[in-house]
Amino acid sequence: MIMTVLAYLAFALYFCLIIGGGLMAVFCSNLVRALVGLIATLLGVAGMYLLMQSPFLAFMQILIYVGAVCVIIFFALMMTAGGNENEDGTPIPLGKYARSFLAAIMPLSVLLPVIFLHPVDSADSPVATPLAELGRGLTEDFVLPFELISIILLIAMAGAVFLAWERRNK
Amino acid sequence: MSPLVLYHLVAVLLLAFGILGLTRRRTLVGMLISVELMLNGAGLSIAASSILTEADPVVGQIGTLFVMGLAAAEATILLAVIVVIYRRFGSTRTSDLNTLQE
Repeated sequence: MIMTVLAYLAFALYFCLIIGGGLMAVFCSNLVRALVGLIATLLGVAGMYLLMQSPFLAFMQILIYVGAVCVIIFFALMMTAGGNENEDGTPIPLGKYARSFLAAIMPLSVLLPVIFLHPVDSADSPVATPLAELGRGLTEDFVLPFELISIILLIAMAGAVFLAWERRNK
Repeated sequence: MSPLVLYHLVAVLLLAFGILGLTRRRTLVGMLISVELMLNGAGLSIAASSILTEADPVVGQIGTLFVMGLAAAEATILLAVIVVIYRRFGSTRTSDLNTLQE
């Protein structure tokens, strides 16, 4: 009983972290602050993976997203000197605000009724998957997508280097 | 509300935040941040749907790992694209990238 209450408390904490971080990521005009908000959101989602009894996913979330993707975005910020979105001081027009809110509400209006009106039977407490099974899945059942994604990563890295290459004697 | 509904609610909210940011932001880096939010919501939804239902939990966790890998590849490519655009246009504001309009 007390564990359930604690689990809901932890869920509420992560939920607040995700919502607060998401608001920061979307509404801060300073992009470095928006990036900090994104990191808070990613950490909250990692906590949710922990609540789902999959610590490996939480670890990978922190390692890949917070450790790699956020650092890459920070590099993009530094290389383009684009720290502040509102440099020229012109406020966003009200019509654009309204349209972007409309765009965000449209998928909600379809997905929220589906979630609430047709709930799928859900286990109350998740069961941990042994890490060995995950590894077996990656090397036996899903070996082709696993290899393909490594090729995609290699191509992405080589393509990024090729795109950003600057010839010395141009 | 069952736990699955709660996790899906969080995932849908992440999707909404992502779309809101993607349409509201005026620089490419801000839009990149919003795309990461959306991808993260997708990963959370996949993981929750497979772990908390009778589906095979291994499939969902591997799917989430693939989403993370694709997000990393996508961020790498976008970094290079943003750098190239900054070199060519001198800015990453979306209002300056209007060559096709002129």
